[in-house]
Amino acid sequence: MIKSIVSFLFGIFFLFSSCSKDRSFDERELHLISPEKIAGFDPIHASDNYSANEMGKVYEGLFEFHPLKRPYELVPNLAESLPLVSDDGLTYSFKIRAGVHFHDSPAFKDGKGRELKSDDFLYSLKRLADPKLQAKGWWLLDDKIVGLNEWRNKYVAAESSNYGDEIEGLRKIDDYTFSIKLKKPYPQFLYALAMPYTFVVAKEAVEHFAKEFLNHPVGTGPFVLPVFEQTNRIVYTKNPTFREKFYPSEGEEGDDKSGLLADAGKKIPLVDKIIVDIIVESQPKWLSFQKAKADLLEIPKDNFDTAVIAGKDLSPELRSKGIRLFANPQLDVTFFAFNHDDPLFKNKKLRQAMSIAWNRDEANKLFYNKAAIEAQSVIPPGLGGYRKEFKNPYIKFDIDQAKKLLAEAGYPQGKGLPEIKIETRNETVARQLIEHFAKNLDRIGIKIKVSMNTWPELINKVTKRQHQMYTMAWGADYPDAENFLGLLYCPYSSPGSNGANYCNPDFDNLFKMATVLQDGLERNTLYEKMNEMVAVDVPWIFGFNRTKFYLSQAWVRNYKFMEFNHSQFQYLNVDLEVKKELSKKF
Amino acid sequence: MNTNSLWKDAFFRLTKDKLAVASLVIVLAYFIIAILSSLGLIASGWSQEVGASNLAPSIDHFFGTDIFGRSVIMKVIRGTQVAMSVGVAASLIAIPIGVTLGALAGYFGGWVDDFVTWLYTTFSSVPNIMLLISITLILGKGIFSVYVALGLTSWVHLCRLIRGEVLKHREREYVQAAAAIGGGHLRKLFRHILPNVSHIIIINTSMQFQVAIKSEVILSYLGLGVQGEPSWGTMIDDAKLELVRGVWWQLAGATLAMFFILLALNILGDALRDALDPKLKGK
Amino acid sequence: MIKYIIRRLLYMIPVLLGVSLIIFVLFNVVSGDPTAVLLGKNATAKQMIDLREQLGLNKSLFAQYLDVVKSAFTFDFGYSWATKQEISKMILQGALPSLCLSAPAFIISTILSLLISIFVAYYRGKGIDLFVRVFCIAGMSISALAYILFFQWFFAYKLGWFEISGFEASFPELISYIALPAIIWIVLSIGPDVRFFRTVILDEIYQDYVRTARSKGLSEIKILLQHVLRNALIPIITYVVIQIPSLILGALLLENFFSIPGLGGMTLNALNASDFPVMKAMAILSSVGYIIFGLISDILYTVADPRIKLK
Repeated sequence: MIKSIVSFLFGIFFLFSSCSKDRSFDERELHLISPEKIAGFDPIHASDNYSANEMGKVYEGLFEFHPLKRPYELVPNLAESLPLVSDDGLTYSFKIRAGVHFHDSPAFKDGKGRELKSDDFLYSLKRLADPKLQAKGWWLLDDKIVGLNEWRNKYVAAESSNYGDEIEGLRKIDDYTFSIKLKKPYPQFLYALAMPYTFVVAKEAVEHFAKEFLNHPVGTGPFVLPVFEQTNRIVYTKNPTFREKFYPSEGEEGDDKSGLLADAGKKIPLVDKIIVDIIVESQPKWLSFQKAKADLLEIPKDNFDTAVIAGKDLSPELRSKGIRLFANPQLDVTFFAFNHDDPLFKNKKLRQAMSIAWNRDEANKLFYNKAAIEAQSVIPPGLGGYRKEFKNPYIKFDIDQAKKLLAEAGYPQGKGLPEIKIETRNETVARQLIEHFAKNLDRIGIKIKVSMNTWPELINKVTKRQHQMYTMAWGADYPDAENFLGLLYCPYSSPGSNGANYCNPDFDNLFKMATVLQDGLERNTLYEKMNEMVAVDVPWIFGFNRTKFYLSQAWVRNYKFMEFNHSQFQYLNVDLEVKKELSKKF
Repeated sequence: MNTNSLWKDAFFRLTKDKLAVASLVIVLAYFIIAILSSLGLIASGWSQEVGASNLAPSIDHFFGTDIFGRSVIMKVIRGTQVAMSVGVAASLIAIPIGVTLGALAGYFGGWVDDFVTWLYTTFSSVPNIMLLISITLILGKGIFSVYVALGLTSWVHLCRLIRGEVLKHREREYVQAAAAIGGGHLRKLFRHILPNVSHIIIINTSMQFQVAIKSEVILSYLGLGVQGEPSWGTMIDDAKLELVRGVWWQLAGATLAMFFILLALNILGDALRDALDPKLKGK
Repeated sequence: MIKYIIRRLLYMIPVLLGVSLIIFVLFNVVSGDPTAVLLGKNATAKQMIDLREQLGLNKSLFAQYLDVVKSAFTFDFGYSWATKQEISKMILQGALPSLCLSAPAFIISTILSLLISIFVAYYRGKGIDLFVRVFCIAGMSISALAYILFFQWFFAYKLGWFEISGFEASFPELISYIALPAIIWIVLSIGPDVRFFRTVILDEIYQDYVRTARSKGLSEIKILLQHVLRNALIPIITYVVIQIPSLILGALLLENFFSIPGLGGMTLNALNASDFPVMKAMAILSSVGYIIFGLISDILYTVADPRIKLK
């Protein structure tokens, strides 16, 4: 009896599951995976990479990064050209493209998307400053634009903010021109205008949808998403009213050969549909890609060995399916930060001893498949200020030297040294990494205690200076070393981004000088000097500049890694012929 | 009723059940392993590298090695210590709370009963997993928090059972008789009633013990469990990244270790219940 | 009866007050300041102070507790801190996927367990009884995580019987997504269910009326199905009904691994993001569910067995 019941039940399941859908080969669909839940579609809150990726499909900003050229080059997107800058470097005049329309939406009169005007940009910037909205991106404009902080402060205690107020620094000239006046030179300003925080939104949509605005993205972007629901699948369709925007016809050297220019001059977006599946756990992510349910995949760390054999090549099984591997160095740095408030860490020799007692080579092998680069200092390779020749003497693993330094620091064999507590995130790899660090330091007699935290807890401990040490990774917001050097700038101490509370007056002076300089040799020299100066002071135990590995199915065209990739998806293409052919192998 | 003979009788009945005896042996063996490990007599070198990273099981490494080249079998043993200590500590916290509150409520009735009933209704209506997670979040991570969190969530069931039993016993003749000779409340409660309901504690503990072990695994998976020590939970957590690349031995080691103790505890729990209180079956 | 129901419903008030106190103490007082997280990695100090004010974190503890109590009784949970979404909408959207998984899994596992327990009760004491019992106990002695990892890899990937992960709210596509997590759910819950049902049925089998029935010459199977089961059904119904509220919360781990956008995953996210309003809402909802279904199970008790009087 039991047997028949069980087989009956299995029969039902089997019946339904075996009739799984056939893949469609007539629509250009791009299947992507996002490893994190998407909260909503309000650009002013797009603080993490994954939300930014989603918003970049429907919203746009004045500028974007060129999809092919490296180092990253800023190009006009909704702006017609790069802005005119006044001689004192404070006033920027922008001219925007005519004939750009918002997505069709019930928010507009008769449901048709309205033309984009310069007012929309001024409105969107004010939203970022609106104290009622508490935008995550406010730091970008804080104390930068004339009159904007005053406007914000005026409404902190009020019921609502009045967007009708004139602000000196934000001026409309005509429907397609406006100007922004800065308080002081801000060389990173144009980068700010390429970030998702400053993507342009329509006032009508914000007001029409009110609290539900974050579920009804109305942008000017290449794809549309009429309603966002908190599901694990987001489906975007091509924007039928998208302006004439074309695939670039030039790129970096070699792009031609690798086929990245095959679509040059074609109207974008190139795919009809993008389907994003949100999959958190790495096993289902990996299995889905293997079944061709996803077209692109960031390789979860521990699947690396199954995918890639002997260093850098794909395993034969994957190669036979036409899958390609991309190794992409990141603009990021991982670190163990000391809390310099703690008198214990005033002892430079102790910091140095701890740094060289850690076998980074082994960690690289265990956690990054040997593909990460040992961070020499705070600036990662690929940014101005990083000098290839510079080698930090205090990152080289040397256990005898570490013991010696520890003795010189006053703690021979770790005697007299209290247990040191390190805060980290509650993730498998983070835990294993600290276990490795602790094991290494144990060899010279330093006892490490691990404390795992949820992300909010970790941030809280750091901003309230309740930590002794903590570990984190910092990813670039924009391609400028200022974004990294600021992590050690004394005025940015907790609750700011300098969670180590590191203060070095010499460094701070240089930082102040560098931040008002425009990109160029003079600034780079300053950056280099600062970078190398802090390296030997070991304010952190520097970790790695990581490399991310992506796999792409054979039918994905035009994929090239981008650090700031939210605008990338409009350039991707799917080769249906290849897909049809290869799908038999899956 | 003679409590002594009840126990003797139960023990006799238990020994006749071969499966139960085998389970008892397994449980004792786990305790011995845990004690030996906590004394540092076995598996003290779990943190040492014994070979290369992620070696498959072989003659040299019975259960293979983990990512750091540590012996998986030693980690399993060390994990046994963690698991057993979680079970014991959770019981040590839960039993006094559950028994005291349950006995007071059942014995005194009235507002005391109302209060205790309210307390455990409230506690049991908040989802267990939320209580567990938030208590560990608050106390800071570590094995101590796991003890407390599990202790504070597992007294509820015991309290309810004890209350019910004490309620029944209160009206019985022997208690009434004790009252007649002039025993105080406490004396009545502790000398006469509690010994007669103590079997419930034993049965309940054998059940809660396995809940504690399972919960520790879930907490460790969420990153809230034991820190800086191997536990079955962290081993399975490791395995979730390793399985697809073919590293199955950590998962197998931890799962097997967990399997035998849970199996033994379950069978033993059933047998104890049958032996000690045939009327209580399954309630 | 009506009086009893009203009394029990009124009892919800002190329990909800207690629940809100626990929640308040756990999340508001002890777990600290969410502002840093809500504002992202580049937040300024000034911005954090403003936000604390806006979230009402500067109010007195008592005023904050009153807010919690208010939302417990009005079901107005406001907006999530982490996602800025309206919480009642999040819950409504998440409840469907959770129920799509938990309801069928729960029903099938209950029916299956009942059938198995009748079967083993019939063969009680025989080898097959022992075998099935040990098998059930063995099944529940394996960690849920181990099942998930292995089943997903083997059935969904290797054999390709099911979708690896995801969710589709339309029938019959739904089944290929839900089947595998549902099977894991069933495997996990059959052990404890069978164990409980079996003892309840056995309890009845040794009652006097069964002996009488047997002496009348009724067949064993008839006795089992007509008499024993009817009486055993009372504790079984109670046991089943009391589990219903936990179905809404879904299964934390299953939802996470199979990318089902349900309430379990939502709760997990909220815990990881210190999203106090969402955790509060979930805790309040599930305690209300617990109380209501507790009441329903008590009422069913009297319906099934009129001898029991509710007081």
